[in-house]
Amino acid sequence: MNSIILQDALPNVFAHRTDIQSDIWKTHAVFERDHLYLVEANSGTGKSSMCSYIIGYRHDYSGQILFDDEDTKHYGTSKWVKLRQHSLSHIFQELRLFPELTAYENVEIKNNLTKFKDKKQILEWFDALGIGDKINQKIGKMSFGQRQRVAMIRALVQPFDFLLADEPISHLDETNSRIMAEIMMTEAKAQGAGVIVTSIGKHMELPYEKVFRL
Amino acid sequence: MKLVWKLLRQHISIGQLVGFFFANLLGMLIVLLSVQFYQDVKPAFSQEDSFIKNDYLIVSKSISTLGGLTGSTSTFSDGEIGEIKGQTFCKGVGKFTATQYHVSGSFGLSNQPALSTDMFFESVPSEFIDVQAGNWHFDEQEGIVPIILPRSYLAIYNFGFAPSQSLPKITEDVAGMVEMNIAMRGNGQQQIVKGKVVGFSNRLNTILAPEEFIQWSNQKFAPEEDDSPTRLIVQVKNPADEKIMQYFSERGYEIAEDKLDAGKTMFFLRIVSGIVMAIGLLISVLSFYILMLSIYLLVQKNTQKLQNLLLIGYSPAKVSMPYQLLTIGMNAIVLIISLLLLYYVRNYYLDMLWSVFPEMDTSGLTPAILLGAALFAVVSIINIIAVRGKVMKIWKNKE
Repeated sequence: MNSIILQDALPNVFAHRTDIQSDIWKTHAVFERDHLYLVEANSGTGKSSMCSYIIGYRHDYSGQILFDDEDTKHYGTSKWVKLRQHSLSHIFQELRLFPELTAYENVEIKNNLTKFKDKKQILEWFDALGIGDKINQKIGKMSFGQRQRVAMIRALVQPFDFLLADEPISHLDETNSRIMAEIMMTEAKAQGAGVIVTSIGKHMELPYEKVFRL
Repeated sequence: MKLVWKLLRQHISIGQLVGFFFANLLGMLIVLLSVQFYQDVKPAFSQEDSFIKNDYLIVSKSISTLGGLTGSTSTFSDGEIGEIKGQTFCKGVGKFTATQYHVSGSFGLSNQPALSTDMFFESVPSEFIDVQAGNWHFDEQEGIVPIILPRSYLAIYNFGFAPSQSLPKITEDVAGMVEMNIAMRGNGQQQIVKGKVVGFSNRLNTILAPEEFIQWSNQKFAPEEDDSPTRLIVQVKNPADEKIMQYFSERGYEIAEDKLDAGKTMFFLRIVSGIVMAIGLLISVLSFYILMLSIYLLVQKNTQKLQNLLLIGYSPAKVSMPYQLLTIGMNAIVLIISLLLLYYVRNYYLDMLWSVFPEMDTSGLTPAILLGAALFAVVSIINIIAVRGKVMKIWKNKE
C-alpha cells in the first residue's frame, strides 16, 4: 500500500456544519509511504474519527477514503483483517491494551499474528523505554505513561506501510518521548513506511514533512 | 491462541455452565433412552410373530348354536368382503382358503413315523405372510410344502404328547428338520408330498401353507367344492382404533381378541416413547437456551476485549473460536457421558427384558448413537453460527 487519500471525506456528525475549515475534511488529503505527517487538531474536530475510518473500524462518513486509489468502503472483513495485520499499524489514543495480561503478553498477543519480531528485539525496546523491569507486570497495575510505551511497542511488532500514532506521547516526559520517537522512526524507515502522528498540543519533536490542521 | 483464551475466559460463569451441563445431560439422556428403549423393546412385541405383522386382524363369523342347527352360512360372501375393504380403517383384506379334500399327515424322524393325524391346511395371500419369498413357495415338481404351525401345537407335543410316549422333545429349530408326509385324497386321486415346517406362529391358530399349494391341490382333489372363506385377514391402519371393534361387533363378526393386544401394546409403546422423548427434547432445548444465554452474556461482558482483539488484527473467526470450541466441547462431553450412562441403564433393563423375553435379540446402541450424533451436530452448528453472529456484531460496532 503506497498511499492513503481522503477524498471529500467528512464525518456524518459534521454533515450539517457549513463552517468546516480543515486540511483533511472536505478536501483532497494525501498521505504517502516513506513520509512523516503531523495532524494537529483541537478537541472535537474528529481526530480519532479519522483514525477509526482509516483502520476500518468505523464507516460513518461521507466522501471516500482511498488506499492506492481503491475505495475502502467496499472492503470486506478478511481484507480489513489482512490490512490490520500487514499494512496498517495504529497506536490508539485510548491504547486498547488488555489489563488482564502482563506488559509483555500484550505485545506477544499481537506479535503472535505475524511473528514479525523476536523476543530479543521486543525486550530491547522495553529496556530502551525504561520499562524493562515491568514486562511481567499486569497492564492494569501500570501508569498511563508506562502503558503508552507498551502500546507503542505493540504497534511496532507487525509489518506496516503506515503507522497511525494517535497522541502517542500525551503522558510522557521529554526524554521518553524522544526515545520513543527515535525507535518509531528507525522502525518506520526500515520498513519504508509512512507515519501519521496526531496531536492536540504537545507533540513529538520530529522533522515533519507536512502538517495538516484538522 | 493461549493468550487469546487467557483473555476470553474472563467472566466465564462456572455456575451457568454446570447448570447447562446437568440440564443438557438429563435432557439428552432422556431423549436417547426413550429412543433406545423403544428400539430394544419393539422386537419383544413384534418378534413373537414374525410371520404376521401386527396390524393384521383375523376376522370370522360367530358360530351360534342356532346358526349351527339351521345351517346358516359362516362363510363370507364377496359383497361382505367388499364392504370391509371399503372401511376407512382397512388397508387390505385377504381370504383364508382351506383344503376341501381329505388330508392326513404323519411326522417322524428318519422315516420312523411318530405321529399320524388327519389334518387340513389353510392359506392367506402371500403378501400377508412375512417369510422370505424363497421359503414360502410351492413347486409341484419339488413336491415340498412349507408349513407354518401354531406355536401351541409344539407345546402340546412337547408337554403333553412326547412325555407320555417317551418321545424326545422338539425345539423350534429341530422342528424345521422334522419330516412330514402329507397324503392327499379326493376326486378319485391320491398323492403324497413332503411337508417342511418353516416357522411357528402365536397369532394364527391354523396350519398355514402357501396359497399356490392350496389352489393347486383344491383344483386337483376337489374341483367341485365351494371355497368361500370362513375367515378373513384384515390389514388395518391402527389396531387400537375403536371403530374397528364397533364395526365388527355390529355385524356379528369376531376378531381373535389377543391378536389386537400386541398391536395395541406397540401403539401405546410408541405413544409413551414419543411423550418421553418430547419431554427430553424440551429439557434439551431449555438447557440449550441456558447455554446460549450464558455465552451471550459472556460475549457481552467481554465485548471490549473482543473489540480490541479485532482492532489489532485478529479475525472474527479466530476470536469466535474459543467460545465455539467451549460450546462444542461441552456438547461433546454431554453426548459422551449420556451415552455411557445410557449403556449402563440399558444393561440394567436388558437383563430384565431378557428374563421375560429370552428369545429377544437386540440391535445394539446404534439408534441412540445416531440420534445423539445428529443432536450434537445440530446444536453445535447453531452454537457456532450464534457465536459468530455475535462477534460480527462487535466487528460492525453494533454492540
